[in-house]
Amino acid sequence: MITAWARGLTRHRIGRLLAAVTGIALAVALIAALGSFLTASKATMTQRAVRSVSVDWQVEVQPGADPNAAGSLVRSAPGTRTALPVGLARTTGFTATVGGSTQTTGPGVALGLPADYRSHFPDELRTLSGSGTGILLAQQTASNLHAAPGDTIGIRLPGAGLRQVQVDGVVDLPQADSLFQKVGAPAQSQPTAPPDNVVLLPAARFASLTRGATDVTTQIHVARDAKLPADPAAAFTSVTGAAHNLEARSAGTVLVGNNLGAALDSARQDALYAQILFLFLGVPGAVLAAALTVAVASAGGERRRREQGLLRLRGLRPRQIIALAGLEAALVGVVGGLAGLGLAALTGRLAFGATSFGANAGTWALWYAVAFVLGVTVAAGAVLVPALRDLRTVTVADTRREQRVSRSPWWLRYGLDFALLIGSWLVFRASSGNQYALVLAPEGVPSVSVSYWAFLSPALLWLGAALLLWRLTLLALAHGRPALARLARPLTKTLATTTAAVLSRRRRPLARSVVLLALAVSFAISTAVFNSTYRQQSEVDARLTNGADVTVTQPPGAQVPPSAAGKLKVSGVRHVEPLQHRYAYVGADLQDLYGVRPANVAKATSLQDAYFSGGTAGQLMRRLAQRPDNLLVSAETVHDFQLSPGDTVNLRIQDARTRALRTVPFHYAGIVKEFPTAPKDSFFVANAAYVAKATGSNAVGAFLLDTGGAHQQQIAAHLRKQLRTGATVTDLTQTRGIVGTSLTSVDLAGLTRIELGFAVLLAAGAGGLVLALGLAERRRTFAIATVLGARSGQLRGMVLTEALLLATGGLTGGALIGWALSEMLVKVLTGVFDPPPASLSVPGGYLALTAGATVAAVLAAALNGIRSAGRPAVEELRDL
Amino acid sequence: MASADLLLSCRGVALTFGRGPTAVVAVHGADLDVRSGDRLAVVGPSGSGKSSLLHLLAGLERPTGGTIARPGLGGPRDIGLVFQADSLIPALDVTENAALPLVLAGRPQEETRRPVAEALDVVGAAGLADRLPDEISGGQAQRVAVARVLAQAPRLILADEPTGRLDHATGARVLDALLAAADRTGAALVVTTHDPSVAARLTVRRSMRDGRLLAPAPETAEAPTPRGSPS
Repeated sequence: MITAWARGLTRHRIGRLLAAVTGIALAVALIAALGSFLTASKATMTQRAVRSVSVDWQVEVQPGADPNAAGSLVRSAPGTRTALPVGLARTTGFTATVGGSTQTTGPGVALGLPADYRSHFPDELRTLSGSGTGILLAQQTASNLHAAPGDTIGIRLPGAGLRQVQVDGVVDLPQADSLFQKVGAPAQSQPTAPPDNVVLLPAARFASLTRGATDVTTQIHVARDAKLPADPAAAFTSVTGAAHNLEARSAGTVLVGNNLGAALDSARQDALYAQILFLFLGVPGAVLAAALTVAVASAGGERRRREQGLLRLRGLRPRQIIALAGLEAALVGVVGGLAGLGLAALTGRLAFGATSFGANAGTWALWYAVAFVLGVTVAAGAVLVPALRDLRTVTVADTRREQRVSRSPWWLRYGLDFALLIGSWLVFRASSGNQYALVLAPEGVPSVSVSYWAFLSPALLWLGAALLLWRLTLLALAHGRPALARLARPLTKTLATTTAAVLSRRRRPLARSVVLLALAVSFAISTAVFNSTYRQQSEVDARLTNGADVTVTQPPGAQVPPSAAGKLKVSGVRHVEPLQHRYAYVGADLQDLYGVRPANVAKATSLQDAYFSGGTAGQLMRRLAQRPDNLLVSAETVHDFQLSPGDTVNLRIQDARTRALRTVPFHYAGIVKEFPTAPKDSFFVANAAYVAKATGSNAVGAFLLDTGGAHQQQIAAHLRKQLRTGATVTDLTQTRGIVGTSLTSVDLAGLTRIELGFAVLLAAGAGGLVLALGLAERRRTFAIATVLGARSGQLRGMVLTEALLLATGGLTGGALIGWALSEMLVKVLTGVFDPPPASLSVPGGYLALTAGATVAAVLAAALNGIRSAGRPAVEELRDL
Repeated sequence: MASADLLLSCRGVALTFGRGPTAVVAVHGADLDVRSGDRLAVVGPSGSGKSSLLHLLAGLERPTGGTIARPGLGGPRDIGLVFQADSLIPALDVTENAALPLVLAGRPQEETRRPVAEALDVVGAAGLADRLPDEISGGQAQRVAVARVLAQAPRLILADEPTGRLDHATGARVLDALLAAADRTGAALVVTTHDPSVAARLTVRRSMRDGRLLAPAPETAEAPTPRGSPS
């Protein structure tokens, strides 16, 4: 009997089976693909965190301990690849006499590096000018001292006096923050910035110079090669444990500065964000696919009830009927599950070049297994559960008539939709209290966690809005029959009233289809808008860091006038904008100062309103233009110095004529939070003309080049060849790859490629499949109408009216829900964006594709329904 | 009732499903004339080809052999059909179902109200006007199907086992409605049935066996009295 039933199902109910299989396949594929992708992403984050760190551990030898013994201990620790001793001496200052003028700096640091240090830790130093070995000055120190390779500088060492050395080169210290960390101190006790004055010495020279100096310590810089777990959180635990183990074995003679642990700590937070994105963006898709399956299964519910009634009449026992329903569920679950795994593998291969999405074998196999089991469970829920319920509650007589529910659903009666929307708003308001902090890393707590509470507001909004749309569709269909008839008239002519009556009476399945389509469309919209906004902000971040399409940065101390811009206006460059860069003291605090031409700066770079506070970008630039001594300062400076608009801010800036610092008065005119090429911490933005006049120099720090967003790499390459070592040329493409956090390294586009693809399929499936099955279940109705004299044009009009109603309702409702959800998602996921977006980015092309695919699927379903209705009516009526 | 006008004429009509050795002959060389006012019963057991013959007469199937001429019928709208069961559209109420053939023929909705109300009254279903098909019984649904034919006012009514799924008393009431509808419109009535008591209420009976339409039985002197009246 089981075999015969299975044969019958595949022969006569193939459409319904295939539709249910499609729903399951989509759900399984989405879960398997996203799960594997998430795992692979986490592994990428770990790898990237490991790569981002040059010195894994900085092991500081404690006063009184023997550096050689400590070195041996570190070298013998498991996982140590290289351990090199580095001397560190605190200085009271540096001096230099260049061009007849003597410069003196504040306290600084002298480092003693072994000869092979650069080969083992190549990313720690970057040569800017002169030699890469010997006595090296940090860039800012060289700028402060006006020193260049070949100049002689003095190092004041407490206990050893002033020692003279000749500078061989100028270097940049990309990892200065970690290099000069206070080893063993908690994060909040770390210095806010690395020292401004640094000199690097060969180890032997360091030893001779610091002989007798009092404030000298030794660090052992370690590169590790221990195999780390793929998950950043597990890798963090492993590395931290190893560091603690070393400290414990040293019996207090060393403290470990765990740079690798810090990088992994940040990566594990990003991993949690990736997990959040998976939950926010992926789970709704899987839920939707499951809902689609349930809708598909319930579209054939009437027929199944009749079949069940027939089987019961024929004397089948409940257990046998359940076995037959179980067979259908198993068929749908297993075939759909396998198809879904195949689809996931295909997605992986097409989008990432690997079935595993880059995850290791065990992990992706686990995700595939989980997805398959979930698929089978959904199939059982969609097919078997209704059969069991009917068996328990419906009589054989009931199964022979159409189920008609006159009572409103319970959620409609109790206003669940309103309750959910109010709940969503309340949770959203509550989340805004902690700035939508999703990833929580409380001080003093070693583990990070996710505030799953924040998930609630978008989830409630999605469900509440869907139920509200359901309510409104039901209301419109129940009470808007005259309006429906008017709308149907162009397609159905004299049948308009009858069509309106049919639509009104079929309002429950129709409303369900509209809601399902709207949910799929809203999923597509919110995912696409989120992704597009994320990419927009990544681009903004890269542009902020690089400054413009191409940026030409002058070396420290270079006196390049704005007129040099002419030489940079090569083919493809639309505009060249000079940007001054100085250092200025406010009180004892040294900050970067950028001099801009307020009227022109926006021609070469984008200034978003979100970068400023106290006015829009345009307004604040106008303020700088109208009153040249106006100054934009960072929020921290406003807070630290208790500034009010219009207050005088005295900055000490170096005068190019005297080489001495001079006080220049400015007026506080607004807050700047971000600015092209500026650092993340505090800085000033002023009028370039005023700065030039006050300091006697119009020297440019960088030229911002606008290439119209095209050919950046080629233009940068051309300029590099032209300028040789005279300046540093960077382009946006190059910067994009550097600025990414480990979250951006995951390349959200990967997640999006998966999701956007599935979103289109879901939207098309929700529109097309459900309509097609609904029409298929009504073939008898069309056959009766045909026998009664309906022409094919009349049937086509009826079906198209229903299809258009579904498409219009679903797309409109979906657009509204998607818009609201996008606004909320971007707010709730603020932590993912850097900088936060001023407005949403709407990807018109993708949304048009989704709408087009949906309409095409609905129309295809309608046309197929019409084609089926056009079959000889007698074929449908044989059993009447 | 005059029976002069020839509405429909079949000569050697055949209907075969499939081809080759698996082909099934449903109707085998049937000859039949139907004239205005005829009351014809086609009697036979299940599978004898009655429904197939009726589908051929209605134009729902194309004959695979022989010819069917409809000299007295203007088009499909001159034929009213009643099926065994479940021929109402679930999403339309009784009035809308009964009005459907008229609406499909292009009559404005307002113009259908009167004939539909009258038709429902004739079959005793006036009280069901606002009900949906799943709110009425099988017998009531059949009477509504008859009212639908009556409102259409066809020249030929074809009823395929109209009482087949009903109990005896309900079936009798449906048949009463059907006869009343035919009388009221002057239409010819062809009923297929396996029930001799139903056949006995019609003036002419033709038997079918294995797809063959047998020669007419002698006409009964008087039709039996109806066993029930419309409820």
